Amino acid sequence: MLLQALGKIAQTLVVLFFVSVASFGLLKLAPGDPIQIMLGSEYSQESYDSLKTELGLDQPFLVQYADWAGRFIQGDWGTSYVARAEIFTYAFKEALPVTLTLASFSLAFAILIGVPLGVLSAIKKDTIFDAGSAVLALTGTAFPSFLLGILLIWFFAVKLQLFPVMGYVSPWENFWLGIYHMILPGLTLSTYFIAMITRLTRATLIEVMEQPYITAARARGEPSWRVVWVHGVRNIAMPLVTILGLQLGVLLQGTVFTETVFNLPGIGQMLTSAVLGREYLVVQAGVMMTAALFIGVNLLVDLSYPFLDPRLRARK
Amino acid sequence: MSMHTPEAPATLSPPVPLDTAKRSRRSVFVRRPFFTIAVIVTVAYLVAALFAPQVAPFDPVTQDFNVMMQPPTAAHLFGTDSYGQDILSRVIYGARFALIIGIFAVLIGAAGGLVIGLAAGLSGGASEWALMRLIDAILALPSLILAVAFIAILGQGVDKVVIAVGLSMIGPFARTVRSDVLQVRVQLFIEAAQLMSIPYLRVVWRHVLPNVIFPLAVQVTIRISEAILVSSSLSFLGIGVTPPTPDWGLMIAEGRDFVSFAPWMSAMPGFALALLLIALTIVGDGIREEFDPKLRKDS
Amino acid sequence: MTKLDHKKVLAERLSARFGRRAVLKGLGAGIVTAATGSMPSLARAQQSGHIKIASIKVIDTLDPHFTGFLSSIQIINNIHNGLLKIAYDGENVTFEPDLAESWDLEDDKTHVFKLRDGVKFHDGTPCDAEAVKFSLLRVKEGQPKSPHAWKLALLERIEVVDPLTVKLVFSQPYAFLPVALNGSTGRAGTIVSPAAVQKYGTDYGRNPVGTGPFKFVSWKENDSIELEANPDYFEPGLPKLERATFVLMNEASTALAALMSGQIDGMTDCPMQLVNQIEAFPNATLYGEIEGNYTFVGMNCKRSPFDDINLRRAVAWALDRDTIVKQAYFGRAQQAYTPISPPMTDFFDPDIATSGRGQWYDLDKAKAFRAKAANQGEIEAVYMMAERGPVGTRIAQTVAPMLAEIGIKAKLELVEPATWVKRRNGSDFDLYDFEWVADLDPDETLYPEFKSDGAWNFGGWVNTDFDDLCAQAQVELDPAARRALYYKAEDLLMDEAGIAVMAHMPIYKVFSNKVKGFKYIPADLVNLHSVSLG
Repeated sequence: MLLQALGKIAQTLVVLFFVSVASFGLLKLAPGDPIQIMLGSEYSQESYDSLKTELGLDQPFLVQYADWAGRFIQGDWGTSYVARAEIFTYAFKEALPVTLTLASFSLAFAILIGVPLGVLSAIKKDTIFDAGSAVLALTGTAFPSFLLGILLIWFFAVKLQLFPVMGYVSPWENFWLGIYHMILPGLTLSTYFIAMITRLTRATLIEVMEQPYITAARARGEPSWRVVWVHGVRNIAMPLVTILGLQLGVLLQGTVFTETVFNLPGIGQMLTSAVLGREYLVVQAGVMMTAALFIGVNLLVDLSYPFLDPRLRARK
Repeated sequence: MSMHTPEAPATLSPPVPLDTAKRSRRSVFVRRPFFTIAVIVTVAYLVAALFAPQVAPFDPVTQDFNVMMQPPTAAHLFGTDSYGQDILSRVIYGARFALIIGIFAVLIGAAGGLVIGLAAGLSGGASEWALMRLIDAILALPSLILAVAFIAILGQGVDKVVIAVGLSMIGPFARTVRSDVLQVRVQLFIEAAQLMSIPYLRVVWRHVLPNVIFPLAVQVTIRISEAILVSSSLSFLGIGVTPPTPDWGLMIAEGRDFVSFAPWMSAMPGFALALLLIALTIVGDGIREEFDPKLRKDS
Repeated sequence: MTKLDHKKVLAERLSARFGRRAVLKGLGAGIVTAATGSMPSLARAQQSGHIKIASIKVIDTLDPHFTGFLSSIQIINNIHNGLLKIAYDGENVTFEPDLAESWDLEDDKTHVFKLRDGVKFHDGTPCDAEAVKFSLLRVKEGQPKSPHAWKLALLERIEVVDPLTVKLVFSQPYAFLPVALNGSTGRAGTIVSPAAVQKYGTDYGRNPVGTGPFKFVSWKENDSIELEANPDYFEPGLPKLERATFVLMNEASTALAALMSGQIDGMTDCPMQLVNQIEAFPNATLYGEIEGNYTFVGMNCKRSPFDDINLRRAVAWALDRDTIVKQAYFGRAQQAYTPISPPMTDFFDPDIATSGRGQWYDLDKAKAFRAKAANQGEIEAVYMMAERGPVGTRIAQTVAPMLAEIGIKAKLELVEPATWVKRRNGSDFDLYDFEWVADLDPDETLYPEFKSDGAWNFGGWVNTDFDDLCAQAQVELDPAARRALYYKAEDLLMDEAGIAVMAHMPIYKVFSNKVKGFKYIPADLVNLHSVSLG
């Protein structure tokens, strides 16, 4: 058990190492550097050179990487080159909570909308409702999320004035206001997952409903709502959790656009502006956090199977 | 971590699987009306893409500032954009770029994924371990960041977008391929073949590959939509396809500043894209349900 | 020259630089210039209201001596003061003493500034002659080197005469000084707290401490920059607002939606494609005029094919400026014949269109030059563009068909902004379009941009006569003589077609109608000093 845990940790570290080298190297290969961007048009070569030395960007690649890695491990994430932002504060304390809030909200939306829709589709299989929900779910996934976000803003926030256009309010500080600000972005980000969960739920349930124990439950005279919602839906948990773990990357990718359109100061916006601005250290912080999140969630998914599936527990 | 996770269906489950018990020998097209419609739509897009010069009423990049930002009229059925270019013609030509980007990006992703996935699945020991960590790393890197970085390195334009999007899709493909290989590797017929001392590469070629290629092909059909979406998202970030290429993603991105008074500029290419993606998904699902042995329990 | 003459020259330079121009909307009566001079602040201003303004462009740093962006200056200017400030009464742009109470010329190379008494930085330290000296030296020779150091290159020494008097001695008469101390991204004359610089070092840009009407509170990346009123501000009755938030945004269409829904009160910049929508929206007012700028298609004179003067001339005459203005700038810009822009009233010729000077659209002439070009085949040229600047790739897209008319196939290359900067600075292009903005003087409009070995001369056009003319003009204090020199210099540039000049652009700000008292200054400033929320 301990050995297994150590193995996992070693694996995680190796993956994080690969990730950090890849992102650092890729961005360094891309032309442009932060000082050129910072100096705008009216600059002098002298001040360019002087700033380059000051920021350590004149060092060779490996030195820069080693310098970064050494500090990062010790918890010193550095400061951004141009704006001199404390990266730990910026990335971990400010941006991460925003993205986590957005992601949890959209997952909650996806489950709250997707599961019932999927169950109803399964029950009313091959009816107009079933077809309609399938088409609706597909439509949600077929628009680029930024267009969907812009359309939602113009309709619900500007025309109907129902929701705020943009901005983030921490639900920890003001719960209802926080939720209020998360409804449109959460919905925008969740469309892909609503579709996915609807279809997953529907397929799983159709399969489950043919199982003998369901027939047995029915035979026992249990009411049909109970058969479906208690015995049937329980089975959705495992495939759902699995797929959510695997599709976390898609979710994190979606935050880039949702955050830009709704102006949420999260990791997505942070990473995009950092990549475009060649803020190598900020990119590293963002990539390490998303990678750790991705690995961590998938570990949790692994660990959760015994709890979700009694059969797995029994086997141990 | 991902590789120990039982491989879930990487895509969505069937939207409209027919009641398998009642399946008859009637033609697919009769049994699956949605599938049929989707195939027709897809073919229509293909035709539009192939014969764009014949079908489109205008040249897609001819500017005319006298008709800038006109709403749909008889002359310009889909309206015009902020350069006075005819949106209908651009949407028709756009089918070319959407399909080129979708198909070729996915092929690059699938080819790369096949190589890495096969290597990881077949090799053992340290190299397998290292390859697995590599796949995990690719998966853990946000693919959009990968695409942006590749674009920054390669430069921009349709060909570069194809490569960048394709490279960023290698990770998910590699994962599916590897898990398929693992499933095949433990099958009895492989063991039998090895016992019969058939050369290793031949076993791979004759027995492993065919069992991996099919699920991969299904993946390819389904991921085409993803590739098109990613490429349009790149245009939103101001990188990607070069204007004035009639690319839908670019058109949507360019039109977003005019949503409040010229919504057709984004909406028309948006609908064209959505329709194609829906059709592609239904076609992909249909093919999978019809031909995937795992889903054909009754046959 | 006697002392009086210098004063006269100074007075001339400071007044009537800008002519009367139409004001779009809003800007009307009731603009009260704040009284200068150290009045005892009897009643402290009663501050109220919290304004939220979208800032769509990049904020690089709040350190005035290191920023390269006007969008940063917009915020910095609310936190800091300069020795001089730019003032505008709807007709004329003038340079008025700001932290200085008076400004005298002892001789044509020696400027004496008398400072206001009792002004304190937000950290409580006094803003005295030593602080002024410290700030100017930080620009001139600080480490790391300020990008604005060149503006004070002619500054020989700074003398602290007494705690409130500082004397600047230059090696030559320096006609550009008021602009250098003030203008656009210059802000070389912005005074920062020496104590704060010592305390924060290179992190000063995140902890700016000035003397301005607002104090810096916080800066959250991609989120907001918060300012609060400085109750001890030296201009009586100001500021009127209690708090100001600059909402940092990347997406202009969202900012527009937020403005229309009332979530924000203004935008520090209004991209041209949004202007029509703002005008149609009744609850907001657009502020903006043609400012001191010009846009152009740059050609790489260092390499083939545009090392050929006839080909460059063909391009210069082939651009249909009318179409460019209508299509690329949504009809908002004004055709340019030469780089000197309308706000420089001492230098701009209102009849330039009929004067025969400069460049304009004449396809026959273009074709005649094209016929003289060395390469008579179809020429393929790399046109580098990026989603940057006021109209993104619109100019390139509009210009490409015009170049096709004269047998130049523009290969449009979309590159990422960071790459674009890299390639521009490395002269790795055939064609590109660019704009020099927020210029207040012909010197900064022409000389550093097209000086033969100039760092910003990305196209590499070389003409030593041009250099000489500009150098002479720099030390020429008589406006008429200076104008003649700049006209000659411009004519060289236009004739040899170092660039194909296109347009002068308006720069817009937007405020909702409940925002009162905003004073528009045609130098891309968003000064909130006198702003209140009605």
